[in-house]
Amino acid sequence: MRHPAGHKDSRTSKRSPDRYDRPLSIGTRVPRIDAYAKVTGREKFAADYYGDDLVWAGVKRAGVPHARIEGIDLKRCREAPGVICALTHEHVAGTNRQGVIRKDQPVLADDKVRHCGDAIALVLAEDKESLERALSMVSMDLEPMPGVFDPEEALEENAPLVHEDHPGGNALLKGELQKGIGQAAAAECEVLLEGCFETSYQEHAYLETECGWAQQDEEGKLAIVCSTQTPFRDRMEVAEALGLDPVSVRIIAPYPGGAFGGKDGVTVQTLLGLAALHSGGRPVKMWWGREESFVAGTKRHPASMRYRLGAKWDGALHFLEAKLFFDTGPYDHLGGVVLTLALEHASGPYRIPNVKLEGYAVYTNNPVGGAFRGFGVPQVTGAVEQMMDMLAHRLSIDPVELRMKNALRRGDRSGVGKTLVSSTGLMECLDVVSKHPFWTDRDEWKSAAGPFKRRGVGMSAVMQASGYGPVVPDYANAKVELTQEGKIRVYCGVVDMGQGNASTNLQIAGSILAQTLEEMELVLPDTDRTLPSGSASASRCSYTFGNALIGAAETLKRRILQRAADLLMAQSADQLALVPGRVRCLGTGRELSLERMARLMDETERVAVHHFRAPVALDKLAVADDLRLHGMPHTLFSYGAHVTRVEVDELTGYVEVKDYLAVSDCGTVINPQIYEQQIHGGVAQGLGYVLMEDFRVTEGAVGTPNFATYLIPTAPDIQDIESIAVEIHEHTGPFGLKGVGEIATNGPLPAVSNAVADACGVRFDRFPLTPERVLMGMRTAEHGKESREYQLQTER
Amino acid sequence: MPLRDVFLPRTLDDLWDTLEQRPESMVYAGGTDLFVRLRSGSIAPPSLVCLERLNEIKGVRDEGEFLFIGAATTHGFLLAHPLTVEHFPILAKALAVLASPPVRHMGTIGGNIVNASPAGDTLPPLYVLDAEIEISSRREVRRMPLADFIFGPGEVLLGKGEILTGVRVKKLTNENVHHYEKVGLRKGQACAVASLAALLRLSPSGVVEEARLAWGSVGPTVVTLTEVEHALTGEVLSHDTLKGLIPLVRDNVSPIDDVRASAEYRRIVAGQLLLRLQQYRWGGP
Ligand SMILES: Cc1cc2nc3c(=O)[nH]c(=O)nc-3n(C[C@H](O)[C@H](O)[C@H](O)COP(=O)(O)OP(=O)(O)OC[C@H]3O[C@@H](n4cnc5c(N)ncnc54)[C@H](O)[C@@H]3O)c2cc1C
Repeated sequence: MRHPAGHKDSRTSKRSPDRYDRPLSIGTRVPRIDAYAKVTGREKFAADYYGDDLVWAGVKRAGVPHARIEGIDLKRCREAPGVICALTHEHVAGTNRQGVIRKDQPVLADDKVRHCGDAIALVLAEDKESLERALSMVSMDLEPMPGVFDPEEALEENAPLVHEDHPGGNALLKGELQKGIGQAAAAECEVLLEGCFETSYQEHAYLETECGWAQQDEEGKLAIVCSTQTPFRDRMEVAEALGLDPVSVRIIAPYPGGAFGGKDGVTVQTLLGLAALHSGGRPVKMWWGREESFVAGTKRHPASMRYRLGAKWDGALHFLEAKLFFDTGPYDHLGGVVLTLALEHASGPYRIPNVKLEGYAVYTNNPVGGAFRGFGVPQVTGAVEQMMDMLAHRLSIDPVELRMKNALRRGDRSGVGKTLVSSTGLMECLDVVSKHPFWTDRDEWKSAAGPFKRRGVGMSAVMQASGYGPVVPDYANAKVELTQEGKIRVYCGVVDMGQGNASTNLQIAGSILAQTLEEMELVLPDTDRTLPSGSASASRCSYTFGNALIGAAETLKRRILQRAADLLMAQSADQLALVPGRVRCLGTGRELSLERMARLMDETERVAVHHFRAPVALDKLAVADDLRLHGMPHTLFSYGAHVTRVEVDELTGYVEVKDYLAVSDCGTVINPQIYEQQIHGGVAQGLGYVLMEDFRVTEGAVGTPNFATYLIPTAPDIQDIESIAVEIHEHTGPFGLKGVGEIATNGPLPAVSNAVADACGVRFDRFPLTPERVLMGMRTAEHGKESREYQLQTER
Repeated sequence: MPLRDVFLPRTLDDLWDTLEQRPESMVYAGGTDLFVRLRSGSIAPPSLVCLERLNEIKGVRDEGEFLFIGAATTHGFLLAHPLTVEHFPILAKALAVLASPPVRHMGTIGGNIVNASPAGDTLPPLYVLDAEIEISSRREVRRMPLADFIFGPGEVLLGKGEILTGVRVKKLTNENVHHYEKVGLRKGQACAVASLAALLRLSPSGVVEEARLAWGSVGPTVVTLTEVEHALTGEVLSHDTLKGLIPLVRDNVSPIDDVRASAEYRRIVAGQLLLRLQQYRWGGP
């Protein structure tokens, strides 16, 4: 099939005016391959696809949270000027269902509406304006139904059901787990604290909203260019929902303009595919507006969490209990998996002999909860790390010391009883924090607060699993080619949504093949050109794909050297070395160019592929099959410890984060710049989460429909973030690396909350910590009244 | 957004012609408020007239005792202008926290005034400075105090065929405290949930000899409270003095609840912001 308009490989030779001409190596600050094209506006994102004869497709959304669909009248819409066609669920030939675990989300709603963002009709028009007009002419006959908007109410006996056919009612997934003697251990604790915490939605707020472009060719092949993290899964989902053979669907995935989990799963893909089947072979574009993205896109699950944490007088943790309610909205999406990861991390990175966990991912008629950097872990880390600070305060133990006393080490068992066999560097991270001036000089710093300012210092310890867990195969297939021009071309199976893993791939392959960036080429994920490789998610991209890539690059290297040894009459391949653009015989100094080598090799020899499947936990834990399927337990974890210094304004309640330090154990650092950017980005997103990102939903309707009302941090809101890597080699990781994509997002909510509590003596249970919440909390505390905003500590 | 005609007159005469030929059109300068409303569909004028190229109403003119600021002067230009900084530090302080560099580069003082949002950052300073505005049409030029011009959120006394041509402000002589504080929910691009502009004359011993105060975002328009100004006059600028005035402020502002903050919060903060002034007693923050 021909290439869709303008889809080209990114060639490094046109990369940037300042050439980086050293052979690639591990641990160096190689400039990101995508940086120049992105900052100069040359990179072609999915949103940049247009082409001649373009058709615009758009969706009419329900606008009500729960209703029976009595009828959809498209007559006026179809007659509107510029309309090509208008479609409903009746035009969907396949299952009309999408989803990852439980496929419960219709492409176009059929029997009922389950949230305001449900797609009811798909309209194709000649241009955007005609599309807008036509969409306003879709008339829907919706019979309102009582909705459920609170997860705990949704679990009650007579609550309205979101999915009448779901055996568990509104409980999408219930997870229960006990370690040691469970709740019975409460009685053995010398101190026992309770806490409740409620975290809010978080919107991904990527620059590039959900978008794509699609076209069906004469042979019936459907190509979809889209902003996605999951091209290979999309292909299957689109095919199944639309009743197509997966082989006839091609997904092409340029760099997304941000994703953070919000593009982990189908957004526009199936709708676009359906549109392209009805456009008469013309290319179709769909691009959600910002408001549409806010309504229809997924969000971080709001969570309500109840904790009890018990210890001995010396600070040794003895018992933890957590009860979690995650609002997954109307569809599974990844809600069950998110809850399961939350349960796995609910006890924090600590050795706790007795644990009792209970969690619910609950269907409601609210917006769709889904994947978001951290994937359930930011919520529970926010809770457990505040419990730890409350305990430290109660026992008068230094918060870092309390964590050190209980920190997981290799060989220990995690909160769910998993024996930690991979590198476990939490102690090393805590050690750096304990000696850092932010921590050691904190009393002095605090006492220097200016008028009307209160200063506080807080910390948190974090861990983050990577990969898919024991059941779902976490695999990658790498492909490396010596092109006819003598370049090394890496076929990336995993999307680079901005984390920089495409660059890391070049760095890994280039370092093995001893080439400079000039000799390297990149092919971004494309189900017809690159090999199936799992999603860009779960802090797994460089770990899993990197391991596959090492195999492929080494195979290719061996082939080149062996063939060259024969040609140069060397005794063996050991006497040869690859150098940029050439192979050299070390003894004689004779050389062959890679271009020459390419011509002397057969096509089948010039391409090397390698498969890698990530190791899984071998532990036999008493974990329900359901939870195992949803990913519990993992076997590879990254760790970190964060400290922040904040200043709270007494007159306004405004919290200013003055300094931030993140110390992380994510294995060996391949590229310090990319590593740092992941930490910085994760922290910045976490700071938004704790300080201002307050996505409001009332009776299922979004109350913060745009960036004027939903605030995310701007540049002046984020101070310099110091990132220190504790480089501990992970023996299963490519060159010793572990995932760094998500871990940092978990730290800010508890670290800042702990710092705010340190500053003003008030513990908050609802987030974000807006100036209003903080000021009111401080006033209540001053007036000595008890309120639900504070005073969570109750002693047994 | 549907396509529409945009006119770019270069002289006021051209402008008057255009406004006569296209009476249904709307004028804009930077468009940083207008385009938000256009995009949301809350307004849909058939055509637009841009004031950006009218040099006659751009820039700062020194008129001796007064300074005249053209309506189409951008916030960025004004913030960088030596005369603003020299004579109206209070305005410069507000401009420095208005939106962000790119929005200041486009947004104008005229737009901020005519938009008449209670959260407009130039408004509290202009109120305490007793700014006078100039309104022109083909036929006449009218002048009036800013406080008379704005009569509600987004509501101003502007007739058909008229535009705001500028603001005239008397240069300050004796005031030695120029204070502006904006409370937003973040640092950049933040809409004020409350703000306070204070212009004081303070004696060397810290006694308030003259006081002008104005609050933003705590009422339908900028709020000025002469009772508080009078009560402050003659007093030492101390914590106790200021604290004593908080109830008076709290009881006399009329904020609303919205997605950004509750009325109660705004009321409390409006009062407490006064306390910040005590730092000027010993020479400022
Ligand atoms: C992201 C963002 C952040 C912002 N942050 C702030 C902030 O922190 N503080 C703040 O105060 N404002 C803020 N604003 C609002 C806006 O930038 C200011 O109000 C700005 O001063 C408006 O000026 P303008 O020239 O762009 O107005 P325009 O949008 O051009 O016009 C606004 C209104 O005034 C009318 N108008 C403009 N000029 C004239 C004239 N000369 N005569 C008659 N009518 C006229 C227009 O018809 C329109 O109704 C922000 C806006 C955005 C988009």
